Amino acid sequence: MQTVYCRLKPRHPSRNLQLARVSALLVLFLLPAAPARAQVSFFDPTNFVVMGEGLAAGMADFGLRSVYQEKSFPAQMAQQMDVAFPQPLIQGGGIGSAPGFPSLPVRLPGPDQGAVRKDFPPQLFVFNLSVPGFRVSDALTRRPTPPLVQRNDELQSVTNLILGYPSLILKDKPLWTQAEYAQRMRPSLVLIELGYYDVLEAAATGDPSRLTSVENFRASYSDVLKAVRETDAALIVLTIPDPLDTAYFTPLDRASQNVLASAADLQALYNLRPDDLLTPNGLTAIALQLDANEIGPLPPGSVIGSDVAAQVRSRVGALNQVIQSLAQENGALVYDLHGLFARVRGSGLVVSDTRVLTRDYLGGFYSLNGYYPGATGHALIANEVLSLLNRTFGTSFPLIDLAQVAQDDPAVRFIPLKKPSSGELQ
Amino acid sequence: MRLRFLLSILLAWFAVEQASFGSAFSIRELGVRAQGMGGAFTAVADDASAIFFNPAGIAFQDGLQLEMDSLVVVGLFRFFPSITPPGTIVPEKGYHGSISPKFIPVGNLYLTKKINDRMTFGLGAFAPFGLAANFTNFNDGDPARGKYPGRFAGTRARLEVFWLQPTIAFKLSPNSSVAVGPAFIHTHLFYEQSILSPYDDGKTFGREVAEQLFPGQNPAEAARSIARLLPEGRFRLAGTANSAGVNLGYLYRHPGTHTNIGLSYRSGTAHHLKGKASFAFTDDSAIAPFLPESQTIEDLFPTQDAAGLFQTPATYNIGIANTALPGTTLAMDVTFQDYHRFRALPINFTQTSGTATPPERKIEFDFRNSVVVMAGIEKRMGEDMAVRAGFVFDHTPVPDKSTGPLFPDSSRFSLTLGASKRKGNTEFSVFYQAMNMVARTTNVTENNNQFTNGLYDNFVHLAGVGLRMYIGN
Repeated sequence: MQTVYCRLKPRHPSRNLQLARVSALLVLFLLPAAPARAQVSFFDPTNFVVMGEGLAAGMADFGLRSVYQEKSFPAQMAQQMDVAFPQPLIQGGGIGSAPGFPSLPVRLPGPDQGAVRKDFPPQLFVFNLSVPGFRVSDALTRRPTPPLVQRNDELQSVTNLILGYPSLILKDKPLWTQAEYAQRMRPSLVLIELGYYDVLEAAATGDPSRLTSVENFRASYSDVLKAVRETDAALIVLTIPDPLDTAYFTPLDRASQNVLASAADLQALYNLRPDDLLTPNGLTAIALQLDANEIGPLPPGSVIGSDVAAQVRSRVGALNQVIQSLAQENGALVYDLHGLFARVRGSGLVVSDTRVLTRDYLGGFYSLNGYYPGATGHALIANEVLSLLNRTFGTSFPLIDLAQVAQDDPAVRFIPLKKPSSGELQ
Repeated sequence: MRLRFLLSILLAWFAVEQASFGSAFSIRELGVRAQGMGGAFTAVADDASAIFFNPAGIAFQDGLQLEMDSLVVVGLFRFFPSITPPGTIVPEKGYHGSISPKFIPVGNLYLTKKINDRMTFGLGAFAPFGLAANFTNFNDGDPARGKYPGRFAGTRARLEVFWLQPTIAFKLSPNSSVAVGPAFIHTHLFYEQSILSPYDDGKTFGREVAEQLFPGQNPAEAARSIARLLPEGRFRLAGTANSAGVNLGYLYRHPGTHTNIGLSYRSGTAHHLKGKASFAFTDDSAIAPFLPESQTIEDLFPTQDAAGLFQTPATYNIGIANTALPGTTLAMDVTFQDYHRFRALPINFTQTSGTATPPERKIEFDFRNSVVVMAGIEKRMGEDMAVRAGFVFDHTPVPDKSTGPLFPDSSRFSLTLGASKRKGNTEFSVFYQAMNMVARTTNVTENNNQFTNGLYDNFVHLAGVGLRMYIGN
């Protein structure tokens, strides 16, 4: 606005004063009161939708099944937030397979299964859209396709049973990708746990060529965030844990408690390097050989070399940088799941005076596959994310009693009892 | 020839769309000369607009008079919500109300004819109640983040209450008169609001189907989720009513003190509306493709005949005017309106079997009574010219809980200015009114889910022109 100054003809002082008073009154009258604006957008977790892979799905041991799905960290979060959280609960032995372990032919329904999905009549929609085996790009491109069970394509069968049910058994119903599904659920809170499988499969199989490239990851992850941003939901993204921090990869010095042999003996007996990592298959094979006193070559997939480990670790770091930067661009909250796994690796998790969960294989934090946590580990993740929500949005969601969860956690039954040492996570 | 000319003007005037504006929904600015004096005209009542302000005033008017007034309203309505749904992007300058139409015209027409020394006939056509609220800043298919968050409390309302009022005024004495004006009242109401809010009525719908859609989930939690999966819709009601009313007046002139005292009364009216209720929905909801073909959302909310009841308040005016000062008229009015009659707008649907439309839906308002104080002065500048000024304080009848898109109302102070110029038997008048509505912040707990709490910051400009003709003796 331009201010124009005019030279005024002198007036009688008292008349000027009167005019000034009248002008001031008019100005006060005509000017609308300065508005005091303070908009508050409340936090609403009502439609809490989760996009992820096996970790957020509740994959544990060697399949996805209801007993662990019901204890997945998103399910435990939803319970604390008092919101509905329909999940694609799977009957009996579950579906899917764990990378690094032998995969079986797709046979559904399997033993102890009827409709495979436990919820019958089924939930019309599910909010936990996580599909074990999903890479970030799958969230954008893989959609359910008939038939429901595809014997030669396990990932497609799992996708169908999670994202395509009941659409595939009805007629002419929409078949959404994970990202489309999330959009259609009009979420108010979206949690993204994608990327773990992009590194996990390569790490578990010792094949770095299966690592998702940084460029592809960036492009896909960016598109996922854009899709979610269109929903106006609050958005939380989780960084990718380093698979090497998990129980699937056991350093020689920690393997002794599993196989009852020192690191030096293991190096000598199996021609191992000091920084080699043993997989559960390797631990099992060594334990059996030592028990039978029949030392021989270890089966393929028993040992992960330090070169592969370095590539995996480097890629995890690069992908997490991508997540951090894209999250910032898209206004998403970031929870450092990578950091949590690293802390558990360093100091374990104290759940009570007499119970400490460690990152070791059969140490209680991880389930039998070694890289997906058990129920108590999921409860810890849930508490961490809930605390982040409470700090960020001023909510007061109650935290989960880890000791209580541990009492019924199958993964905890294997751990030895010991006193906590200082510095361990509470 | 002259009669034909008058009839043609009359017909043309009725053809003008009577879009309206009101404090709550009253319109007092129905005479340009009167409004120049802030509307303090009950005891003045010396032109044909007395048919509206105080019909007893026409008893003292000679010959045949025709008066036409036209009012233009420009409202600057802004709303800054204090709480919004997640993701909402509030415009920097708040949400605009009454975006369209930008200018609201209001016309009125009065005619008086002296029959004999004691009796005068009058005919008035005017709209004492009206409303043109519009907080629609969006298309239904737009992302929710840009939509006006209070849309579930209303998006548009349009009310036009026409009074056609023949009037007979009778001189009781040389200085006092009474008048009665039975009126035929035609009302048109249009009401629109968004429906199936995820935070409100959508949850009610969700509870009904929670067991079917999300078996095994906590029904209350499932209902909240389902509410977000429903399509957003709009409900519209358009109806008309014909009813009767009456306007009564009394005017006393005290020659010794040059003082007039006027009283007038306009009856309250119950408008029994008949019309259509209709619904429209977005087609992007997740749930729609899964509904059975025999029970689509459209089937659940069919367009249907509907009825409603709308109450307008009675109006009581008392005024005093004095012309003791040379060439000067001083006037003051107090108006009382029993707005407490307007408690709710009940809507009765006709298709309730197998649908989601209930037998009755009641939109609560619970207005309170209101008082308006007006004061004005007219200074005649010779034989042909007069200038006027006035002040108005209008106490809003709208309680905090009903302050929203339909009634972004608050108490208001107005300054008015006016002037008239007479040439021959024709007088041309103008007025301008600056209406400062007191900034109002509402914080009503039950309105949190409708997102109508916040700051209402309004200013209104009104201007009018009027033409008065004296024809014959």
